This record gives sequence, structure tokens and C-alpha cells, in this order.
Amino acid sequence: MRRRLRAWDAAVLLLLAAWATPFFWQLRTSFTPDVELLTTDRAVPAHPTLIHYRAVVDRSVMPRALLNSLGVASITTLLAIALGLPAAYALARLPVPGKGLLLLAVVASTAFPQITTVSPLYLLLRALGLRDTWTALVLADTSFALPLLMWLLAGFIRDIPLELEEAAFLDGAGRVAVVRRVILPLVAPGVASAALLTFLAAWNEFLFAFTFTATEASRTVPVALALFPGVFEVPWGDIAAASMLAALPPIVIVVALQRWLVRGLVAGALKE
Amino acid sequence: MTARQRADRRAGLAFAAPAMLALGALAAYPALWVLWLSLQQRVPIFGIARFVGLDHFLFLAGDARFWNAVRVTLVFTLASVALELALGVAVALALQRQRTGRRLALSLLLLGWALPSVVTAKLFEWLYHPSAGLVNVVLGGHAINWLGDPRLALPALVAADVWRTMPFVALLCYARLLTIPVEVYEAARVDGAGRAATLRSITLPLLRPILLVALLFRTLDALRAFDLMFVLTGGGPANTTETLTVYAYRSLFQTLQLGFGAAIGVVVFALVMAVAWGYLRALRGAGVAA
Amino acid sequence: MIRLAGLLLALAALLGGCAEPPGAPGPITIVFKHAKILGPLDPIPGLLREFERRHPGVVVRSEPLSWTSDEQHQFFVINLDGRTPSFDVLLLDVIWVPEFAQAGWLLDLSPWVTPEELAPHFPAAVAAATWGHGVWGLPWNMNVGVLYYRRDLLGKYGLTAPRTWEALVEQAARVRAGERDGRLDGVLWQGKQYEGLVVNTLEHFWASGTSLLGDDGRVLPDPERAAAALGFMRGLLQRGVSPGWVTAGDEELTRRPFGDGRAVFVRSWPYALDLFEAPDSPVRGRVGIAAVPGHAGGAAGAGATGGFHLAVNRRTRHADAAVALVRFLASDYGQRAIAAPGVALYPTRVALYHDAAAVRAHPGMPRFHDLALAARPRPVTPYYLMMSTTLQPEFSAALVGVKRPEQAVAYARRRLEYLLSGLR
Repeated sequence: MRRRLRAWDAAVLLLLAAWATPFFWQLRTSFTPDVELLTTDRAVPAHPTLIHYRAVVDRSVMPRALLNSLGVASITTLLAIALGLPAAYALARLPVPGKGLLLLAVVASTAFPQITTVSPLYLLLRALGLRDTWTALVLADTSFALPLLMWLLAGFIRDIPLELEEAAFLDGAGRVAVVRRVILPLVAPGVASAALLTFLAAWNEFLFAFTFTATEASRTVPVALALFPGVFEVPWGDIAAASMLAALPPIVIVVALQRWLVRGLVAGALKE
Repeated sequence: MTARQRADRRAGLAFAAPAMLALGALAAYPALWVLWLSLQQRVPIFGIARFVGLDHFLFLAGDARFWNAVRVTLVFTLASVALELALGVAVALALQRQRTGRRLALSLLLLGWALPSVVTAKLFEWLYHPSAGLVNVVLGGHAINWLGDPRLALPALVAADVWRTMPFVALLCYARLLTIPVEVYEAARVDGAGRAATLRSITLPLLRPILLVALLFRTLDALRAFDLMFVLTGGGPANTTETLTVYAYRSLFQTLQLGFGAAIGVVVFALVMAVAWGYLRALRGAGVAA
Repeated sequence: MIRLAGLLLALAALLGGCAEPPGAPGPITIVFKHAKILGPLDPIPGLLREFERRHPGVVVRSEPLSWTSDEQHQFFVINLDGRTPSFDVLLLDVIWVPEFAQAGWLLDLSPWVTPEELAPHFPAAVAAATWGHGVWGLPWNMNVGVLYYRRDLLGKYGLTAPRTWEALVEQAARVRAGERDGRLDGVLWQGKQYEGLVVNTLEHFWASGTSLLGDDGRVLPDPERAAAALGFMRGLLQRGVSPGWVTAGDEELTRRPFGDGRAVFVRSWPYALDLFEAPDSPVRGRVGIAAVPGHAGGAAGAGATGGFHLAVNRRTRHADAAVALVRFLASDYGQRAIAAPGVALYPTRVALYHDAAAVRAHPGMPRFHDLALAARPRPVTPYYLMMSTTLQPEFSAALVGVKRPEQAVAYARRRLEYLLSGLR
């Protein structure tokens, strides 16, 4: 029995590795010198090289783009948590007037197509003179990050048994103290998961960033990759290297922080 | 109302107000504004802003390019979602029986999902390269022009999207499968049910609620999809991969025809909301919603 | 909790402000935004250093853009409309100048530039720069659509450069039959769904005796001829005179195979000649220059003109320095740098085309001069881009066979008339 299961495990891993081939092929391309790029008879390049990474780091806008993406994604996540956590608690526990309608509005906002809101946001940001700043992107990304986070956190908070709060109230604590002492520690893992999802969504965001950023100084990683300059031919090797750099935080989240990521993804779907 | 309840109401308002204000300004207000925009001919670079009523919508109703975009969007959505669900369930079932190496398996699986869609687009652009692309090499060296042939571009796009989104469905199903107690399967085995019968009568029905949720999420996402087709094909060749979102974006920002582009955006919005509403009603009917 | 939120918001605002472009105490920095220069040598860095030498206290930062025309246009439109002066001097495709001028984004150079200063440049270039009333830019480089052919191959069969497309098709067939080389293509041209396709199609329209805008401003005034021209282009693909991948071909993708000796004809721009005549080029010394062919029974062939103009952002904070840079780059000195050996750009100053040093570096110049004078500009109107982006998918659909040419033309007309209806 044990031997049969291990064969199955290996088969599944092989299958999933095969599924991930596009990624590994791009990884391989990023280390392949230009002369070998158009010959594909080897899985591993004969003379692996770091020349593409060096080109991307030294001569492209990717390093600055990575910084921009990091800043925008982090601030968006922090802002969404700062606004969303108290609101999620209120919607989960407190008698907010019009709660049903508000919940519906929040859920509906998660379904707003970005292509619909991009034109009024463009005019709004233009009027506020905020083009080409981190602020513009943070505001735009918050429009979808906040409802997502609120919805996830409301679900996590509802999972916390009411009795725990009741007990704290009986001890004479006020509402804010109850939240700080009882809710926060228990919802922290949920916040971590929701934060990861939000960060990932903001990191990967393309449409708003493409539309609202002007110069390389504020361009984020997906936009920098999409506009990667080629002179004569498309520099596939450089693009592959840039792609790997762009994929770094997502990879880190998937591999190292997998548990929280999965929890966030699953919670979002298993709860209504 | 007791003092406590009044305090709770005040706390509720205080806690929720900042977020609701932010949402109002960043989501609700733009949603209303876009409706107003769609009724204007607004070309900011030439300083044109005049009310035209439903002209844009009337034009779209008779616009072949619009209906082509509708067709492309629907075909893309249906094909993509169907493949994701089928493959996702299969992968989830395979994972369910796995004992060791789960973390590695999930890492390999989720890699594609977590990547920015622009990265995925560049990945597949290289894979689909007529001479150097891995796809053509594996298929025997024929220089098939995946992204340039009007008959192949949309299937190629769907394949890229399925690669990216199947992991999400697989993960959801897998999580659900993990919650099925082992006793259920043992009872089935005792009753003499074979593997296929177990799958049909036990596993799939238990998966059904989560599949419906996944179906809803994925359909809405596919209808709104933009990044992948914009970067991979730009809507070409000859608009064979131009979805409604790409059509709207090109109208909006290639010539800043904000009114006309907003009208298309409103159509996308209406489509997404209609589908969401329809699904939720069906889900409620199926007794899945809380 | 609320204090924490406030702190985070303040932090966000602070960091958001940090992403502004740095202010400039010290020397004036002007930003020059331009497309990446194709060709072996890039003259811009040298020119900018010389300008800085002549104007101490001014530093020029050059920021290249992707070399795809459509992408550059989108960049400029989105950023100039946003009203932040993040660049001062722009290198604009000639087709954008009226559009940007109408939008009020360009500084009128009339106070600095006299008519005499414009006289030395090609008339077509000057016409785009002086659209409406004002001087919106100075011409910098000139482009004209030309037909390159393999002189050696044609000579082998006793042929001279074709004057009509029909003759070209025959010649290509004869050469390919004679050479018995399966990999030798007939004629390469730009058929990808982008501005280049519109250029190629317009050349066919002109050769057929029609055009995009009629004299009364009507769009596609002669749909039958337009459809016939499109049909001819599709025919080139169907009959195998051009390979199928031409529908994804842009300038670079079509230049390379011809430069590697794998095609008899290619329709391209002057810059390509420098690459064909590079020391290690397989076709060195074997390339002839001809005018874009006409159509039998139609009009004589005319290439489309193109090129780039130098303009100043109206919201620049350093108008004098920016205008000085523009005038420097367009001056005789600046344009001689373009005409230098190794640079694959062609100046707009007519006199340079017969200048001994320039001709030594670019032997094709006298020929290009004649072709440029006989060439036609694309419609000089602020709405050209709007028209082009509408036409591109239609022409592409006709080329790949998704639509019949008549359908494509009819649809393009309907849509253009709707879009332009509120504008003129």
C-alpha cells in the first residue's frame, strides 16, 4: 500500500511540474545567452549566463519599478487594513444602520470591472493633479482592495465565537478594549492571509498602473514589463529575466507563506 | 433602545464610516460618473464635452466591432471557465489522494496563479514564438503562427488563461475535498461502490456547492479580463481576440474618446452585474448561500 | 485604532509625495523624450553633450521611449493630457503634430522661429509643422516610403526596377522561378495591425487613384477603388508573392529577411539602406532604390512621407532652454550629425542631400531627395490618429481574410463618419 501511494505522489508531482513548465521555460530562457535562444534542443542552456539579469538590473527601469511596486502594494495593503478592519468588525458585529445594503454594496464593489471605473478615475486623478504619483495608484488600487479585504475579514470575524466578546464585556471592558484584547489577536492570522491576497492583487495590478503612471519614476513592475523596450528584435532573454524579477514576491508568497495564502483563498470562497 | 445599544450604533458608524467613505469616493462615485460619461461625447484633448444622450449605445447596437467583441468575450469566458473547472476538479481529485509532498505540489500548482498576468503574457508570447517557441518545438517544429493566425489566436489566449486560473479552482475543490470525512468513503466502499460510482454519487455532489461558487467567481473574472489579452495580442490579429474590455480601453485611451469608451465600459458593467445577480439567485435557489 | 489609521494615512500621503520628480536647484535640467533610434549609431547623446557645452548651466536628460509609434503616441496623449510638465522637449511623429497642436499641448515657437528658419526644410515637413496658425515644431528627420530591390537578381534576368505593382509581381515570379530557391520571398511589406499598415495601404490607395480623405473632407470618397487596392494587397498574400507572416510584420521584421538575402523586394524606409550597406551585410552593394510602384491603369506610385519633429511642451518651466535645444537639433550642425556615417536617419534640410560629406556617408541621399519631393504626406489633420486607429483593425481584417475588402471599407467609413461627426 505504501509503495503504491508513493508512486501516486510522484506522478502527481510530475504532472504539476509539467503544468508549471511555462514558468520553468521562462526561467531557463532568462539564463540562456542570445546565441542559444533560438535553438531549443536542450532543456538546460549549454552556457548559462547572467547577462540578461545584469542588463535588466543595470540598464533597465526594473529596479525602480520594483521599488514603486513594493511601495504602492504595501501602502495599499496597510491602508486597506486600517480602513477595512474596523469596518469589517462593524459589519460583522455592530448594528450599523443599513447594514444589509452596505454589505451588498461591498460585495458588489468586488465585482466592479476595472475597465468601467478607469475612465472616471482618470478624470478624478487628473483633476486632483495626482497623475504619476504613488498616491494615484494607491487610491485606484484601494478601490478594489478595500472591499475585498473587508469581505474576507468580516468572514473571519464572524468565525470568532460571540461568547469570547461577551465574557470580556461582563468583565467590564468597553467596546474598543474588547476589540483590542479579544478580536485582534484572534483575527490576526486572518488579517495576515487577507493582507497577502491584497498585496498580491496590488502587485499584479496592471490596468490602473498602465493608465495612471507617466514616467519611469513611478511605473510599477507589470507596466515596466509590458513596455520593455526592444531595439531591433524583441529581447526575449532580457524580458525573461525581468519577468523572473517581477515574479519574485508572488513566488515568495506561494512558497514560503503558502499556508496563509491558501487560508485566505479558501476562506473567501467557502464563506458567503 | 438601551444606552448600550446606542453606544453600539455610534461605534458601528464610527468604525465603518472611513471605509464606506473611501468606497463611496473610489468605487461608487466613479460608477455613477461613468454612467454620466457614457451619455456624452467627451474628447478632452480637443476640449469637446457635449451631451449626446443614448447616441453611443445606439451606435454600439449596430456596430459590428462591438458585437464581435461580445462574441469574443463570451467565447473566451465559456471556453476558459469550462476548461478550468474540468481540469481543476481533476487536479483536486488527484491531490486528494496524495500523502507526501503536498506543500511542493501546491507550490507548483499555485505558481501560475500568483504570477502577474503581464508575466504570464510574456511567458506565453515566448512559448508561442513561431520558430523558437517551446510549443512549436514540442509539436514537431512546424512554424505555426499562434498569435498571428486569426483562427488560432483565441484558442491560444484561452490556453494561457486556463493555465493561469485553473489552480484557483483546483485549490478550492481540494480544500473542500479535505473536509469530507474519511468515513464517508469507507461507508461507500463497504457498500461495494467502485471508484467511478463513488466519484459520481458522493464526491461530485459534495463538490457541487463549491463548484458553483468557483463558477461564479471565475465567470465574473473572465468577463472582466483585460491584462492577458491586451499584453499578449493587443486584441489582434484583426480583432479576433478583442474582448469588450480591450475594445473599451482602446477607445478610451488611444484617442481619449472618453464618452464612447465609457459607454462600452457601462455595457461590461451591466453584463457583469447581470451575470452576478443571475448566479446569486440560482445559488440561493440551490440552498448554498448563508 | 483610529489613531493608527490616521498615522497610516499620513504615512501614505508622505510617501506618495516622495515619488514626485525631484525639483531642480542648481543647473536647469530639461528632459528630452524621444523614441529609441534605430540603426547602428545613435547621434543624440553626442548632440546633447555639444548642446550642454554651448549652453553652460543647462543639463539635458534624455529619456527614450519604446520605438513603436502607437505606444509612443499613447504615452504622450496620457501624459500631456495630465498636464504635468515631466518633459520639456519631445520628438513627435509628424502625424501627431496637428493633433497635439489642436489639443493645446505644444508651445507655439513663432516668437523664436522666423519663416526663413523653416525654408531650408522639405515642404512636406514644414506643412505639418505649421498647421493652423503657428509654428508647432521644427522638422528633424525625414522619411519616405521606398521600394528596395535586389539589383543583382533583377539584373541577372535583364530586369529594371518595376514601375507598377503588377510588373513587380511578374518580376518576383520570374526571379523566384529562375533562382529555384524555396526560401526566397517575393515582396515584403508591413502588414501588421499598426500604423505601418495604414501607411502601406495609403500608398496602394494613392497608386489606385484614390485617397483617405477627399477634397471636401469626406472619408474614403471612392470606396470601390479603396476596396480594390485592399484586395490587391490581400492578393499578394494569397498568391504567395508575399509570405503569410507579413501580416505580423513591422519595419524590423521585414527588413531583416531582405537584409539576409531572402527576398527580392521590400517596401521600407531610408534607414534600412544604412543597415543593408553595413560592412557585414550579406546584401551589401546589391540593393537598389526605387519609388513605390503605382498600379497599372491607376496613378504613378508615391511613397508616404514621415519623419519626426522636435516640439516643446507648452507647460515647460524652461521655455528658452527648451526652444534653444530644439533650434540646435534642427540647425545645420544638428542635422549634419544625423547625416554622419553610421547614423540611419535622414535630415530634413534639403541642401544636405547634395552635400559632399553627407552623400559620401549615405550614397542613397540624392535618390531619396528626389523620392521625397515626389512623395505624399498622410492627411495633415488633428484627427489622423483617430482615423488610423479605426482603420488599422479593418485593413488587418481584410488582409487576413476575416472580412472582405468591401466590408472592411464600408465599416471603416461608417465608423469614421460617426466618430468625426461631432468633431468638425
